[in-house]
Amino acid sequence: MMKLVKRSACAVAIAGLLAACSSEQPEGVNLGKLLVGTVKGAAAVRKAGPAQKITVTPAMVANTKVAALQVNPEAFGGSDFLRRVTIRRDSRNGDVEIWQSSDNAHIFLREGVVVGTRGVGSDIIAADASYTQRALKTGKSTSGLRRFTVSDGDVTTTKMQFSCEIRNLGGEKIIIADQSFNTVHMRENCVGGPGGDKVLRNEYWVHMPTGKVRKSRQWVGPRAGYFELILLKS
Amino acid sequence: MIRLLAKTTLSAALLCSAAVLPSALVAQDVDGIFDVPDRPTLNFYGVPGLIDMPSAEMLPDGQVAVGVSYFGGQTRTTLTFQATPRIQASFRYVGIQDATFSSFDTYRDRSFDARFLLRYEGKYLPAVTVGLQDFAGTGIYAGEFVAATKTFSGARIPGEVKATVGLGWGRLGSSGAIGAPFGSNRPSFAAGSTGGELSADQWFRGEAAPFAGIEWNVNDRLGLKAEYSSDAYLTETGSNIFERKSRLNFGAEYQVNDAVRLGGYYLYGSEIGVNVQVQFNPKRPVAPLRMAAPAPYVLRPSRQSNPALFEESWAASTSEASADVRDALIPAFEKEGFVLVEARTSANTTEVRYRNNRHRATTISVGRVARILARTLPSSVETFRIVPVVENLAQSTVVLRRSDLEALETDPNASDALLAVAGITSATPNLAGSARNEALFPSFKWSLGPYLAQQLFDPDKPYRVDAGLQLDASYSPAPGWTIAGQVQQRLTGSIADDGGVSTSLLPAVRTDARQYSRGGDTILQNLYVNRQWKLSPDVYGRVTAGYLERMFGGVSAEVLWKPVASRLALGVEANYVKQRAFDDAFGFRDYSIATGHASAYYALNNGYTAQLDVGRYLAGDVGATVTLEREFQNGFKVGGFFTLTDASAIEFGEGSFDKGITFSVPLDWLIGQPDRRNRSITVRPVRRDGGARLNAPGRLYEQVRSGHRADLVGNWSGVWE
Repeated sequence: MMKLVKRSACAVAIAGLLAACSSEQPEGVNLGKLLVGTVKGAAAVRKAGPAQKITVTPAMVANTKVAALQVNPEAFGGSDFLRRVTIRRDSRNGDVEIWQSSDNAHIFLREGVVVGTRGVGSDIIAADASYTQRALKTGKSTSGLRRFTVSDGDVTTTKMQFSCEIRNLGGEKIIIADQSFNTVHMRENCVGGPGGDKVLRNEYWVHMPTGKVRKSRQWVGPRAGYFELILLKS
Repeated sequence: MIRLLAKTTLSAALLCSAAVLPSALVAQDVDGIFDVPDRPTLNFYGVPGLIDMPSAEMLPDGQVAVGVSYFGGQTRTTLTFQATPRIQASFRYVGIQDATFSSFDTYRDRSFDARFLLRYEGKYLPAVTVGLQDFAGTGIYAGEFVAATKTFSGARIPGEVKATVGLGWGRLGSSGAIGAPFGSNRPSFAAGSTGGELSADQWFRGEAAPFAGIEWNVNDRLGLKAEYSSDAYLTETGSNIFERKSRLNFGAEYQVNDAVRLGGYYLYGSEIGVNVQVQFNPKRPVAPLRMAAPAPYVLRPSRQSNPALFEESWAASTSEASADVRDALIPAFEKEGFVLVEARTSANTTEVRYRNNRHRATTISVGRVARILARTLPSSVETFRIVPVVENLAQSTVVLRRSDLEALETDPNASDALLAVAGITSATPNLAGSARNEALFPSFKWSLGPYLAQQLFDPDKPYRVDAGLQLDASYSPAPGWTIAGQVQQRLTGSIADDGGVSTSLLPAVRTDARQYSRGGDTILQNLYVNRQWKLSPDVYGRVTAGYLERMFGGVSAEVLWKPVASRLALGVEANYVKQRAFDDAFGFRDYSIATGHASAYYALNNGYTAQLDVGRYLAGDVGATVTLEREFQNGFKVGGFFTLTDASAIEFGEGSFDKGITFSVPLDWLIGQPDRRNRSITVRPVRRDGGARLNAPGRLYEQVRSGHRADLVGNWSGVWE
């Protein structure tokens, strides 16, 4: 309740700056939206709790004609289905796939590893995951560095470096929409970031025959935390 | 009590911005990656410390702290800014009830503090800080100190313990003195002196007394404090404001959330006190910006694999090709919130000039314009020359190679790699042979909205506010020409109730402000003709004529030299103005003056900027203004200024010379959505007639540099967002 009051009070305070009609198209900011947004958002979270994950059925996959990636954000709750907008080969190892969500956010996956986001908020502008890619390809436990350029949310960035080790936890059968895959389960533990004491923990389930990461749980930036990514159709 | 706290504007304005902080921060940093480093707690003076005594701690770099405290009839509101990791500055406003030592029921005063960290805390040795309290005011809180603070944790005690010992002079040396190591000639506080001048001759003079204290932070939320105070409160107890029975103070504090900390205390054996502490850091936006992702680049096939795609005959005629490109780009720009001004293309190079009406950071617009060009233009165009334009002034040319954009979008080092191959150069005043967007002129714009005007620090009523409606209108007949005006209709307010008249010894160029407030509810703030243009790629010009501001009308002309990559900028401004009538929108009074300044602007490292203006001010006094500002890369600014002129302290009156602090908050920092506007506030302890500058509309420096190299580099990641 306190939070609701505070947020509303401040929306009103900010409203003073924004409430104006003019000959120009309102640029992005809409006072009504802002006010209703904060109040509704706070109320909805209190009432309903986070949205539920969607369980995908084989029929849903069969009806999908294009590549599809299911994303289950841990912090926000709910599910979204992303479509692939491009695959490209740049000068680095491994193709990059760019996936687009229903609310116009993008996730960059280089051989299944998150190397960028756009429109998620506090986005990963760029990242180096070459050691992780190698480990996922070979299935060998190893260690290495991961580097991220992360947006501070104000058009500036912070560079972060983590030292990581990735371990092969052995074979594991996973089921995606009633279809089972024999995968290798890899877990990556990282320590670093600003202050040097932040911890990341990513998990990957790699289908060795195709080399594809069928399922993973990966860090997608400080605002969104972790997403579960499930490759439904590639 | 709450009313008391809310009365002081600084707190009202800042507490609110702080109140949204917690929910935003907690919700938006799942892993604590951007958690604020440990920050010290504040004392009753709103600076890091114990209860009434200071400690040696510094706030995290850039931190802004607001403290509002109350005990024994005394309210102190303090704004503290950690200007550099070692330097901290504070501005304070106090109210002391039933102060029989002054002619007012409630004695109100403003004061400045400064502190310098001599050494950081080490493994064995404490942090040491030297501080000046109320060093330039009327001196009721005047005191100096050296303090040492050491943090202990671990062992058998939970949490952490901070121990502080120090030696105080002046007020901080008034109880339990142990002698006067640097001489004893220190004048005592005299209410009613003009104050304002640096009292350097009395620093560290007089008796010195030790103080000490302990802070125990039991856990992340709860803290306990105890201290031995060296302040005798001679002035206050002499006026029976409160009784000082003990020199020991005790308190408990609770961290409500990331930003807010509340404390309750028992002071001097007789008084209950409260302290509200708010801290935030400009480096961390209240609401992180979130925008829809831009469409990724579509990679062109290589020239070898598809030579036909790269043929160049489409650009055989520059004028036709430019017109075609312009027609294709206008709607695409509009969709992104940009306005195409003009375009010129050859088979390999396209230059576009555009206005960005949406994003604060110019780089976001540069990146999104580049994407539009890559989507729209034939494959043979390899070089994009992107020129942001603000009010007819082309700011700079960002030169990007299309193949670099395609190659680097998903690169592990995308931002730095692109910056290394991008060119940022000056822009010519005009683009010869371009296809212009013919629909831009003439244009008419207007907006109607609420306004709020405030008047601070009147001894009778420290906060006065007016509210009403404001109509802005502008008409642009041709590039660079603007006719603009602003009318306000006051609906309610108390500024006009200020019945005083100016008693200034100088011409009443600013102290007559209240006469204007009383002049009527409909106010013509300004109405003028403005022309801006570029004289050369690095030189900008402006001429403005009309009713320039509420109090003056006339002619103003300015020339500014600012190369795109230069830290230094030089400017000259000359004005001839006449004072406007109090109650007649269009009339003038008898006073007129030629006023103007030569200005130098210099961008130091790490976002610090310095500005020096030398010239003649509105009251005819001659002197200089020094402005120091820290600008965070996200556009948040905190600064301070002072003006010294040949008007003497007596002529100037209370405060002795003009000084103040400035705050500017970009709106996108606050709301997390693209927005170009910002909110600025200038706080002067007292506004007098000396050192007063004309408020000419459309000054060039800020407008010009927002698209120059330093700002572009600071926000460079925006080209990918």
